[in-house]
Amino acid sequence: MAKQGGDKITRYIVIGMVALVVIVGVFFSMNSGSKKSALPVAGESANGYAISFNSDLKGAPVVDIWEDFQCPVCQRFEGTNGAWLQQQIAAKKIKVSFHLLSFLGPESILMANAAACAADENKFLELHNLMYANQSAKENSGFWTPDILTKAGTAAGITSPAFAACVKEGKYLGWVQKVADDGAKKNVNSTPTLFVNGKELNRQTQYYDPKAFEAVVLANGK
Amino acid sequence: MNFAKLAPWLTLAGRLVLGGVLVVAGYLKVGNTAKSQMAVRAYEVLPISIANLLGEILPWLEIGAGLLLILGVAVKWSSIFAAALMFIFIAAIVQAWARGLSIDCGCFGGGGQVAAGKTRYLEEILRDLGLAITALYLIRYPLGRFSIERSSAK
Repeated sequence: MAKQGGDKITRYIVIGMVALVVIVGVFFSMNSGSKKSALPVAGESANGYAISFNSDLKGAPVVDIWEDFQCPVCQRFEGTNGAWLQQQIAAKKIKVSFHLLSFLGPESILMANAAACAADENKFLELHNLMYANQSAKENSGFWTPDILTKAGTAAGITSPAFAACVKEGKYLGWVQKVADDGAKKNVNSTPTLFVNGKELNRQTQYYDPKAFEAVVLANGK
Repeated sequence: MNFAKLAPWLTLAGRLVLGGVLVVAGYLKVGNTAKSQMAVRAYEVLPISIANLLGEILPWLEIGAGLLLILGVAVKWSSIFAAALMFIFIAAIVQAWARGLSIDCGCFGGGGQVAAGKTRYLEEILRDLGLAITALYLIRYPLGRFSIERSSAK
């Protein structure tokens, strides 16, 4: 056994300091999502903070998409079904809610924030499409900065200076965290995750086959 | 080789390896709590609310235990904690494998569901097993070179 004495005090000080690091760390992890945050126009809390389209339709199929703008498989889903979904939205045939997850890292968070800013300008889908079309081959490569996102917004047809400010100051970062917390509560463990009328689709058969996807969406209308 | 002479150095090596792995594993997770919560949920063992709580707490506990091991304080208790953690991880990965889930262990950040052919369960289990054996050795021989706990003992 080691001799006890002055050594013991050092020992307790070290244990105390390490315990403090752990407690403070846990405290900050658990409180990161609780700050008050601005909500984008279309991102009402009633629908899990999603950016929603055609919420007022009656009896239409409800599609919930959980996505991350940096996720390559989301890009694939987008390439398979995105155009059709957006036609259906424009034709007021279906309700669609976009839940923007950001667990792939800092650039996902910036992009989700920018998408919320674009929603305020009524250009969510335009920026959404543009970001997927220009997805980096590698996550968090340094490509998507507030500066680039502002330029992307301009390319998507946004002219208001409020958008640039919103992107730059990270107006909706708190909201991005709220969406992430909501996804955690709803047990969303992957992107993309698709729900139609609240029921999760089959990842093997219904995500990347446009016929199967369109069929299951349309079958859920009343 | 004289084991009595070697043992304290093995303990030091074990502390640095196990402690280092724990600190790195924890550090890589604390910056992305959403992902570490997802990693815990994806094992489909715990109720969602508890899995989410664990995803926030566990990385910090790993960092804490790792720091104590590196500094050489409360080595025995930290090692008991680490050994328990490794056996729980192994059990969790084995059940995921047995049930045919397709997940990443989320050991060093990451985690969640992966494509069916992309799992690496065996590799993950072997790594955790190696760390568990290291922890067991430290429980048996906790007093090694360059630890605060031993600084006054000659």
